[in-house]
This record gives sequence, C-alpha cells and structure tokens, in this order.
Amino acid sequence: MIIIDQLTKKYGEALVLNQLSLNIKPHEIYCLLGANGAGKTTTINLLLGFIKPTSGSAFINGLNVSENSRKTKRFLAYIPENLMLYPTLTAVENLDYFSGIGGKNLSKVQLEDFLNQAGLQKGAFHQRISTFSKGMRQKVGIAIALAKDAKTLLLDEPTSGLDPKASNEFGQLLHLLRDKGVAILMATHDLFRAKEVATQIGIMKQGVLRQQFNAQNISLPELEAAYLETMDFKELEV
Amino acid sequence: MIRNTFRKEVKEIIRDGRIKIAFGIVFLLLAIATWISGKQYRSVNEQHAEAKAAERLIWDNQGEKNPHSAAHYGTYAFKPKYPLSLIDQGVDKYAGSSIFLEAHKRNEAQFSKAADQTGLARFGDLTPDFVLLFIIPLLIVLLGYNAFTKEREMGTLLLLKSQGITIWKLIFGKWLALFTPIFIVTLATFVGAGAILSNLNDFGVFKWEHLGVLCLVYLCYYIIFINLVLLISSRAKKSGVALVLSLSIWIVACLAIPKAASNIAEGKHPYPTRQEFAANILMDKKEGLDGHDPWNKQAKLLEQDVMNEYGVDSLHQLPFNFDAYRMQKGEEHNAEVYFKHYNYLKIQFESQSKVYRSLATLSPFLPTRFLSMAVAKTDYSTHWDFADTAEKYRIEVQAFLNNDFAENSTYGDWSYKTGETTWKQLPTFQYAPLKLNEILWRNSSNIASIAFWLLASFGFLFITIKKF
Repeated sequence: MIIIDQLTKKYGEALVLNQLSLNIKPHEIYCLLGANGAGKTTTINLLLGFIKPTSGSAFINGLNVSENSRKTKRFLAYIPENLMLYPTLTAVENLDYFSGIGGKNLSKVQLEDFLNQAGLQKGAFHQRISTFSKGMRQKVGIAIALAKDAKTLLLDEPTSGLDPKASNEFGQLLHLLRDKGVAILMATHDLFRAKEVATQIGIMKQGVLRQQFNAQNISLPELEAAYLETMDFKELEV
Repeated sequence: MIRNTFRKEVKEIIRDGRIKIAFGIVFLLLAIATWISGKQYRSVNEQHAEAKAAERLIWDNQGEKNPHSAAHYGTYAFKPKYPLSLIDQGVDKYAGSSIFLEAHKRNEAQFSKAADQTGLARFGDLTPDFVLLFIIPLLIVLLGYNAFTKEREMGTLLLLKSQGITIWKLIFGKWLALFTPIFIVTLATFVGAGAILSNLNDFGVFKWEHLGVLCLVYLCYYIIFINLVLLISSRAKKSGVALVLSLSIWIVACLAIPKAASNIAEGKHPYPTRQEFAANILMDKKEGLDGHDPWNKQAKLLEQDVMNEYGVDSLHQLPFNFDAYRMQKGEEHNAEVYFKHYNYLKIQFESQSKVYRSLATLSPFLPTRFLSMAVAKTDYSTHWDFADTAEKYRIEVQAFLNNDFAENSTYGDWSYKTGETTWKQLPTFQYAPLKLNEILWRNSSNIASIAFWLLASFGFLFITIKKF
C-alpha cells in the first residue's frame, strides 16, 4: 500500500513536486502520466528514499519512507526505464543475486519458477544477460519483484522502447502482480498501456497532479483528450 | 548479503576474459620468477659451500710460512645466502658475497652478481619480489578500479539501493571478492617457495614461520592497495577516471616516491666518495702506529714504553718478538681507524634510513620493501652486520697470527715459520644473523608505518561508506 500525503520537493527555488497526495491500495495499478519534468520520476525517487522531501510524507506499508528508508525497501520492488543487470551473469544468477540482496535465498528450482512466472523463455534462464533484449530484462525485473514477494511495485517508464508485443506481455505481467495483491505505481508516457493496465490514472504537469480518473470510467480517446488538454493548459499559462 | 555480493563479484571476475589473461600472466611470472630464484639460490649456495670448504682447505694446507706471511696470504669470509632470499633478493645482488680478510686492511665485500652482469642488468631481473611489489598492486588496480563505478555506469546501483542493500555489506563483499584472488595468488607463491626451500635441506635453516611473516607483510601491503583502489572507485563518477587515479596512486607509491626518497636521502646525508673515503683512512692511518715501520714516531714511543714496562734496555731482551708485537699494535690502530670511518658510513646509512622512514607515510611501498628485505635477511642492515662480524673475525685472525709469531720467536727473527697445526687452530668464520624477533624489533617503525596505512585506508573507506 502506498500513501502519499502533501508531498513536496524543491531544488533551491525550483518546485518540482507540489503537494502531491495519492492513495494506492493493494490490487491497484496507478499510472502517472505526464510530460518530461512533470515530477513522475521525482515521486518515485521520493518513495524509494533516494531523495528527501521538502515537506509532506510518503508511506509504504504504513511506514514513513523518510524515517524508515531501509525498512520500507523490504516491501517494494523497483523497475527503472532501462533495467540494467549484470551482463556476465545469467538470468538465474542475476535473480539469485538481487533476491539474495533483498533477503531471500532461493533454490535453483524456485528461481527458475519465478522466471517462468515472469514469462521468460526457459531457454534464456541460463543465458548471460548481455544477450537479452530490453523486454527480456524487464521480465527478469518482474521476476525479482515476484521473488521478493514485494507488496509495492514502482515502475519508471518500463514500457518505453519495448515493441508492442513485449509491451503487451509486460502489461499482462502487471496484471499478474496486481492479482497477487501488489500495489503498483507506474510512471509512463504511454497512454495506451496506461489505459490497458491501470485501475487509476493521474495526469501531472509541473509537479502538480492536475487530473485523476478511474480507468474503467474513461475511454482511450477521452484520456488522450484530457492529457492534451492538460498539456495545452501549460501553453495557455505561457 | 556479503556472501551474495562476494559470489557475484567472483563470478564476474572469473568470466571477465581480461582478468583471466591478467591473472594468467601474473601466475606465469611468479612461477618463472620463483623457479629462476630457486635455481639461483641452490646454485649460489652450492658455490658458497664449495668455496667455504675449499678456502679452509687452502688455509690449512698453505704450507710452512711465517704467520705474518699467512696474514697477508689471507682468507675469505663468505656471506651466506638465506632461504628467504628466494623471495626477496634485496641488495644481495649489489652488496657482494665475500670479504677478503688480510693484514692491515679492511676490504669491502666483492664478487657481487651485478658486477658480473652485462649492461642489460640495468633493466632488472625477474624475481618474485618484483612481481610481489610492483605487479600484484597493478593487478589490484586492474581488478578493482571499476568495482563501484561499473555499478553506477550500468545503472545496477539504483536497483541495489532499491533492494535495500546495506552499503557496508556491499563494500565488504566487494572487498572480499578483490582480496580472495590476490590472497590465493600470494599464498600459492609463498607455499610454492616454501615447498622448494623445504626440499633444499643442505642449506641454511628454513623456517615456515619466517615465510609466514613475509607473506603477512605482503598481504598487508595488498590490503592497503585494495582499500585505496576501492576508495577511489567509490568516489569516482566514471571508470576511466577511477582507472587513471588508481594508476596514478600506483605510479606515485611504487615508482616516484621510492626514487624521490632515494634522491632526498642521498642529498641530505651523502656518503663520501670512494676516493675521499680511502684518502681519509690513509691520513688517519699515517697519524698512528705503522706495524711495518720500526722508525715510525709512534713505533719508537711503543718501543720505549714496552722496554720500560719490562725493565729492559734492548728489544732483544724481551720475552717475545717485538716485531710481531708492534704489528699487532699496528693492527689494533688500523682497526680503530677503520671502525671510525666505517662507523661514519653507518651513521650516514642510519640517517638515510630515517629519511626513508619519514617518507614511508607517503607510500606503503617503502615500509613494505624494507620490511621484506629485513625478514629475508637481504637488506643493508644484514650486510652491515655481516661485514662487521667479518671485520671482527679479521682482527681476531691477525691477533692469533701475531701472537703466535710473538710468542714463538724473538726480536728480529723473521725466519720463524709455523705450519698446519697452527693453521688448523684458527677458528672458522661463523656468522649468525639476527633472529626474527630482533629483526622485527629493529623494523618497528616500518611495522608502524604499515599499520598506519592499514588503519588510515580502512578509516577512509569507512568514511566513504557513510557518504555513499
């Protein structure tokens, strides 16, 4: 479960996140849409405890991130835009290492099972990551989240650069995690994928959450129109 | 977490082709260097044993002659080659392996290996200490320069942090992964050297604990380098920068500072030139008693003193041969002159050593180099100790021969001859080097320098962990 309460981040005079409040429950996928610089990645970095908020609070599984940065990491998994793993290690070895770091020491059979659940082809389990496409690496990232039994998943533009098929497979994996009760926050530019996977959608601009929708109550053209309207609003301001 | 990081790092090292090649080269170099050193050690010791036995045989069988002729005939003191010289040859190559012991004169050690070599010897020899002191730190740089920068560059550091990794455990895991292959290479070298030395029962006394101390000195040296390389890698933004900085540390620590230290030490506390040294000795000798010159002022004073002491008015009335007595007194005067001038050299050597020790805080190479040579008994201190023991023996030999001449003949009787029975009574030259605990005590400042480097490098690494 993710709770964000009046979260604000300033770099000097620059306000990059302005009083953001969100509540993402288990079995929910919240997609944050917005242009570059909207504050999506800052939100994720604040939830990861990589940066400190100027004001406001963020909670993961009821723990304040600023006060319990290490403890909250027990409950979360993170997949960045370009998931980089150790190129000389195989998929199983990478999963073994990262799950070990996360406190889970798993058997070879368990590791292979998680990779299987993440949709990675069996033939790739023992291949070095250097031979993997981005889509395959993202699947290993999902396997890391599955192996960790994470309650929260943070995704920073995970489908950018994926071909439609790989992006679709990734969406299905997110549904799998959602069904397992994971609370997911995904920052993305991909309106189509957001509409496909999300339960809630928010549109951000200049650090402010401008609009929120229940994904079931909005069509893709309506979402696109709302997005463009929010972006145009910037031009009117200028 | 430490175990996971250690296993991951070791796998990466094993699978990195460049590292395999680097390790292969280092192993090969060490194996060749140890094998060559082993052969040299065996050969030199065989020559030493043969020369020692032959020299004594020649001495005992020199035939009948006047003892003073025997004193001029002379004998040799051979410097033993110690087992650990197989690892660190130190200054043995330059210091000479034997000293000719003769009447009236203290000679320096001669027959150094360097003197027998061609100009190509300037390039240096492939010895285990060369690989241990220069090449393995370079290997540490190659293995560890990107330990942290690669995580930043690949983007895996973010993922690690998101997994909640404890930074000190990450650093310790990487530290262990870097230390383990270095430990294996070092241990293999020392065990190999120990195996070779254990099978050479004929020479010297090889002790595993001495080898263990030497191994420990080198491991401390490597730990310092590992800490420095990891420290740089954890602070640098890019691998290229980390590599250049780490290589700079290696160049400064292993090449620049030792050479600069040598120049500074020589500049501050210069040795006299060979010509000055010889001229100063000659001048002081002239001012004292010349055992060969009965008309010398000091000789005349001695004559008077001895005649007064024995209450005689002629040297012929003395119960011993005054010529031999005068020569012995001349020897004693010469010995004092040599002691004075060689002591000055020792003072200069000590002053230079102090300069080196003070500069040891700038480079871990210096204390390691000195401690290694000291434990291997191939340093200048051991050489000085040997030369002083040889000089003491020379003085005893002269006294033995002059006393025999004095007691068994009368004044003016240069026809006196003695033979094998007398020669065999001369004790053989024995040299016992310092014990390990004495060596370590004498090198306590070098040990303190290494300890300082260990603490400082671990301290900085600890501070880095906090800022990581």
